[in-house]
Amino acid sequence: MVTLSNEPSAPRAIKRRNLGWLVGRRPALAVGVLLFAVLPLMANPYQVYVGNLALIYVILAVGLNILLGLAGQLSFANGALFGVGAYATGLLRLDAGLPFWLALPVGTAITVAIGLAVALPALRLRGLYLALATVAFAQFALWTFVHWDSVTHGTAGFVMAPVDFTALGLRTTTGIYYLSLVLAVLLVAAAYGIMRSRVGRALVALRESEVAAESIAVDITRTKIVAYTLTAVYAGVAGGLFAGLLNVVVPESFNLFQIVLQFCMVVVGGLGSIAGSAIAAVLLIVLQEGLRGMQDLQEIGLGLLLLGMLLFAPGGLVQALRRWLPGWTEPHSRGGDE
Amino acid sequence: MADLSIERLSLSFGGLAALSDVDIAVPAGEIRGIIGPNGAGKTTLLNVISGLVRPTEGEIRLDGQPLTRLKASEVAARGVGRTFQTSLLFKGMTVLENVMAGMHQGLRTSVLAAAVGLPGVLREERRARERAREALAFVGMLSFAERDGASLSFGQQRLVEIARSLVAEPKVLLLDEPAVGLSPPRVAELDELLRRIRDKRGITIIMVEHVIRLVMGVCDRITVLNSGRKIADGTPDVILADPFVKEAYLGKSSDADRA
Ligand SMILES: Nc1ncnc2c1ncn2[C@@H]1O[C@H](COP(=O)(O)OP(=O)(O)OP(=O)(O)O)[C@@H](O)[C@H]1O
Ligand SMILES: [Mg+2]
Repeated sequence: MVTLSNEPSAPRAIKRRNLGWLVGRRPALAVGVLLFAVLPLMANPYQVYVGNLALIYVILAVGLNILLGLAGQLSFANGALFGVGAYATGLLRLDAGLPFWLALPVGTAITVAIGLAVALPALRLRGLYLALATVAFAQFALWTFVHWDSVTHGTAGFVMAPVDFTALGLRTTTGIYYLSLVLAVLLVAAAYGIMRSRVGRALVALRESEVAAESIAVDITRTKIVAYTLTAVYAGVAGGLFAGLLNVVVPESFNLFQIVLQFCMVVVGGLGSIAGSAIAAVLLIVLQEGLRGMQDLQEIGLGLLLLGMLLFAPGGLVQALRRWLPGWTEPHSRGGDE
Repeated sequence: MADLSIERLSLSFGGLAALSDVDIAVPAGEIRGIIGPNGAGKTTLLNVISGLVRPTEGEIRLDGQPLTRLKASEVAARGVGRTFQTSLLFKGMTVLENVMAGMHQGLRTSVLAAAVGLPGVLREERRARERAREALAFVGMLSFAERDGASLSFGQQRLVEIARSLVAEPKVLLLDEPAVGLSPPRVAELDELLRRIRDKRGITIIMVEHVIRLVMGVCDRITVLNSGRKIADGTPDVILADPFVKEAYLGKSSDADRA
């Protein structure tokens, strides 16, 4: 019954793998990192800003993909948690006088705490109910950003002094940029490490069937908490970097459009695919900046893109990459037509 | 080897008595068949044993230890593995990854260790992959290791599910209609596989099955359920001869001899 070899096709398979290596996932990601690393050396300040924003969204989208794409939890809280990260890091600097390097991790910890406070009551909810509960949280968070004046500085938000990177001999913009790049690379690598481990397999098991997951001794509650925590870490770090990039925090950055944008990145990239989320984050930020000043067009465009992908390419970009590039392998992503 | 005992088990869904007062004792190392017409409560019985459904009354013990108040994941962790009537392989994972997922309990890697990629993580993964390949070879599915689970036939998917349960080294294995859709030669292979699971791995097996030839061939004893009640319990010969069984099941049900 066990037949391993089909000799005639073996040499061809090897040759294909050799060529495919050049367009495989790892080399492609390495080239992407390299391009981002040299961007500040040859781009104008605006382009560096867009690159930095893209890196922050890479972190956000890869983080959301853990909860949405791997664990299959339809949560809309991530736009708000991104906001919590930005507010926490910003306010810790502005009002508590913490230096940025300390405000960022503490702000992330606060984001995780609030993320868990949302997750715990949501653990029993699934699908549409989870979506509704988390949309309610997102609206509540936005309301808090606007109306809790004494802490959040209200509708107008607040402005901070630029983060000081002179100790490293860097200008603020360059410093934030490379910090974002390093964190994005580390967090993407961490996501891959998690996905390939028993933890990643438990997340996918949870996504596919809670009953079957339990039958292999996966504790549903614990695994969900792990997923929510991880996603909150990514949102917190991204929020802190966002505050450091803009030096301004205003509530309207974290409205419903924010979560639509993040969802778009995960879906366009391909649910469950880390590389897909990262690539889609960069593409969508560049697209959004291209449509700058045309708010309506941005929103309609994103809506159409999301709808189009769901209808015609539910596997996302990564599905196309896998089909066209033989060297591209992508663990655990959920192919649309399988 | 472990024994499983089910005592005075009852369960009702609303007004419907899905199980009433069921007593079953499965000694260690036995292959027990559960048969009965559609809707008799066979799947429900497996669901109660595996902790997915709480019984209204009764107790289930594994080697004397009660399982009845535990969560499903805890029951699995104590050594009760299972497969499902409709195959529940995890989509998006290869066959090998599916089997590795079954090792969840036995692996130690924490989220943090996995995120940082400590060297111990890679070692553990290598070992896990090796053991998953062994389990796939054991069920005769090794050549499908890198395939997508969804691309397999139902019969093949069920073999992978069995491998996924085996890597957790269960004491008791619950199988829900593993022979559905298998051709006669495949049924013979399954018969042989079940014996190997019991003999080589020392696993007690409880199998719900409609394919009478398999049940009569491989099971040491058979329990017959009808409308949630146990109506007979005995060796295959005794069951075949039992007039109640004939009436409730063998005589009436047209799919008793299918496949
Ligand atoms: N979750 C549930 N809620 C309500 N009724 C249920 C539920 N699960 C099963 N039942 C009912 O309990 C009875 C037993 O169902 P069960 O699935 O255990 O039968 P079965 O013996 O496995 O049948 P089959 O041979 O068709 O698989 C049926 O009448 C079924 O409709
Ligand atoms: Mg059934």
